[in-house]
Amino acid sequence: MSVNVRHPVAAEGQALEATPFPAQIEFCGVTKTYGQVTAVEGLSLTVQRGEFLTILGPSGSGKTTTLMLLAGFEAPTAGDILIAGKSVASVPSYRRDQGIVFQSYALFPHLSVRRNLDFPLEMRGVKAADTTRRVDRILARVQLSDLGGRMPSQLSGGQQQRVALARALVADPPILLLDEPLSALDRNLREQMQREIKSLHKEFGITTVYVTHDQDEALTLSDRIVVMRAGRIEQTDTPEALYDRPTTRFVAKFLGEANILEDTAVEVESDATRPFGTVAMIRPERICVADPTAPQRSDAIRRQVVAGTVDDMIYAGPLRKYHVRVGTSVLVVREHVASGQQIFRPGDEVRLDWLRSDVRFVAA
Amino acid sequence: MRTLQTLGRMPIGLTVPAFAILIIVFGAPIVLLFLTSLNAPALSIANYQAFLGQQANVRVLFQTIEVSVLATIICIIIGYPTAYLITAAPKRLRMVLLVLVIIPYLTSLLARTYAWIVILGDRGLINNLLLDLGLISSPLPLIYNRVAVYIGMVHIMLPVMILPLVSVMLGIDKSLVAAACSMGARPFAAFWRVFLPLSLPGVRSGSLLVFVLCLGFYITPAALGGLRDVMLSTFIAAQVATSFNMARTAAAAFILLGIAAVIVSALGLDLSDTPGRAEQPPRKSWRRRLPSFGTLTRNLNELAKPYRAKRWAAELYQVGGDGRDRKIVGTVFVLIVMFYLLFPGVVVITMSFNAGTFLQFPPSSLSLRWYRSFFGDPSWTTAALTSIQIGVAVVILSTIVGMLAAYGLSRTVPRLRAILTMMLLTPITFPSIVVGIAAYFGLLNLGLIGTITGIILTHCIGAVGYVVVIVSATLGNFDRRLELAAKSMRAGPLRTFMKVTLPLIWPGVMGGAVFAFIHSFDEVVKTSLISGFSIRTLPLKMWENMRHEIDPTIAAVASLLIFLPLLWLVALYVTWWRSRPKDQLAVPQL
Repeated sequence: MSVNVRHPVAAEGQALEATPFPAQIEFCGVTKTYGQVTAVEGLSLTVQRGEFLTILGPSGSGKTTTLMLLAGFEAPTAGDILIAGKSVASVPSYRRDQGIVFQSYALFPHLSVRRNLDFPLEMRGVKAADTTRRVDRILARVQLSDLGGRMPSQLSGGQQQRVALARALVADPPILLLDEPLSALDRNLREQMQREIKSLHKEFGITTVYVTHDQDEALTLSDRIVVMRAGRIEQTDTPEALYDRPTTRFVAKFLGEANILEDTAVEVESDATRPFGTVAMIRPERICVADPTAPQRSDAIRRQVVAGTVDDMIYAGPLRKYHVRVGTSVLVVREHVASGQQIFRPGDEVRLDWLRSDVRFVAA
Repeated sequence: MRTLQTLGRMPIGLTVPAFAILIIVFGAPIVLLFLTSLNAPALSIANYQAFLGQQANVRVLFQTIEVSVLATIICIIIGYPTAYLITAAPKRLRMVLLVLVIIPYLTSLLARTYAWIVILGDRGLINNLLLDLGLISSPLPLIYNRVAVYIGMVHIMLPVMILPLVSVMLGIDKSLVAAACSMGARPFAAFWRVFLPLSLPGVRSGSLLVFVLCLGFYITPAALGGLRDVMLSTFIAAQVATSFNMARTAAAAFILLGIAAVIVSALGLDLSDTPGRAEQPPRKSWRRRLPSFGTLTRNLNELAKPYRAKRWAAELYQVGGDGRDRKIVGTVFVLIVMFYLLFPGVVVITMSFNAGTFLQFPPSSLSLRWYRSFFGDPSWTTAALTSIQIGVAVVILSTIVGMLAAYGLSRTVPRLRAILTMMLLTPITFPSIVVGIAAYFGLLNLGLIGTITGIILTHCIGAVGYVVVIVSATLGNFDRRLELAAKSMRAGPLRTFMKVTLPLIWPGVMGGAVFAFIHSFDEVVKTSLISGFSIRTLPLKMWENMRHEIDPTIAAVASLLIFLPLLWLVALYVTWWRSRPKDQLAVPQL
């Protein structure tokens, strides 16, 4: 076997305590078409060993297709996919060493939690004694030791999710794939599970590809994010860089809120010259709102100032959001609620200002 | 008087008409019949002993069970892969295939049985073809033997097996099989460990339906089987006609009923539930019931593990086949099954345009002469008119009574509802010869034998069952808050029902009406007992014709009856599927 993926079971037979060996994944110009429809087009991407990569995009952007290709459920129409340097484009799913968490969890409803967890080990021919030990260990890790005998239908949503994660990890695969795993959970549980996934990733050091349409999940979990749109990669970067320096208008609007200044009647003053074919963008939290009569800030020289009228004020706990009419268009302004802050009402005249260096130029 | 009034106001009061008919025509007679079979008030089992004491009777009994078991097994073997492939097909193709399964399901049983006579007969399609080709010199004995019985029975029963299977299989989450594959299960292992166990409820309800219907099978075995292939139903019917020893006959009928009851309770199916809703109950591991089997498989599993580990290591990241062979095999299989289901109908329709005096396939020249013969012969047209008359009356009576009953049942506590529904369904779940004898016994006392009223009442008890099943299923999806909303707007109960409930369950009511008509229009066994030879319905006339003279006119009648389901499908489509928000499969079973 020329694959340099070393699997603990496959290689030595019993080297069970070894941590999984994360694998590097490469997409080389991958295209997938269904009849007339192109789901993914010319996708090239490298996922480093042990990296947590998130594929983010709206529905129909090709993110799920990408995962299906990586999982071996679909074969690419063109291009190649390499896992640990070996082409896997036409390797069926059941000959790949991977763990997958499905959106619906896909727990076998006719098997108990324990038998669900046995399944991947059984398919790999792991002996009964080792199976028991490994299942016990992973059940303890996800705090479900007492629930091994339950049927999936007797578990809560969060517990089902943890079983699904445990089942994907129990065979120590070098790759973990997750397909919108948290979309069925409520908000509080979702945050808790995000922490759980993150800590499992750290502990297992496994190469992880996570597909979601939820920008918060992507920002919180990932080492790197790939933003997809209409079957193509729009931008790939770390969460911080992606949010702070989006290269396209789509990324700017999909990840957080963005004021595209070209859409407004605002004449942009900027330190840099505007590159050809781009528009200026500023994040709502970078804009300060103040009473027109208030004294100028000390760094006023580096700021652009416009006047507007408050259209609407939305209070959202820690944040306050203003829609401010400037000329014929509306700018969104977000500020953290703090004590002693002046609150503006619809109809109030306000002064908006922002640092000229906070303006970003994104491809239109 | 007081109690009557409160009862009338209670929802359960709505089931009174349905139960009144059921009890008069079937319920009370069957109890009396049972007592008769025990020689009441003496209460002896002499009649049963007499029945079982005769070698010939026991032989017929075992033969009936044997034929039913084997037919059910063949139906599973053919039906399961077919249902699997239908489920796996792309959506549009799936709908087409389902329609192709439903058409024979809705086609007259007589017409389908007749088709097999045409195909397998001594001067039938296959023999003629082989004779013409010079491969044989005298006709092969294809008909009037056990094989012909199986061919005909499986043909009739296959849709009954496939439809509940498809309905359960469609409910299985596809990502489960994908998940199994992603964990290293090869396609067969994924099927065996995940898909198969989850589809077992469908296998259970399908086989149960097929088996119980086979036990009571009358027409097809009698028409296609030889003298030695007598089924218990045929046997009982012959007894009714010849001996009129009610106690003996009753004993035979209750033995048949007893077998059916034992099987049903052993497999434990709640017949009041539609299979679609019964899918995936959170049952304990199905293997746990059979501990020895479980231990055995586990041990075998353990033995296989070193081999599995080796294969896993050897095949990891190896390129796999694209499964094209499997696809070809599947396509061919589905084509063969569809051919088997539909070809007989095609043959009969083609034959009906035959110009010659004999049954010939392919016809030497085309003409409408047999249709003219049908419409020109008063004995055929009268029979058809009688059948239509009875059918219409049955539809009106059973739809109203059944709809009220279903509505009343939907308002009662689940446990009571289950029991009452089961009772209302007995006329269609009991072997029809048993129902026929009970009804005969009951109507004899009322002096209704040989009257149209008697036949209508007998058909009605069965038809009500279909209406109840279908309307109940529709009511299950009905949001009761809509009624509360109407009542909050000051609509009385009657206005609420007429203005809100009825329009929303209308598709179910129409579906029920169609099935009620089909039930009445195709009924032979009970009708032949009740008609007392004085009334002749279309199926009776056909049945007579099929047994005595094979007059090609029957091909024209059968063709007309084959075209009917297309009409039904259109009717059902217009009222039923189109009004459904989701395109879910809700074909009523039985």
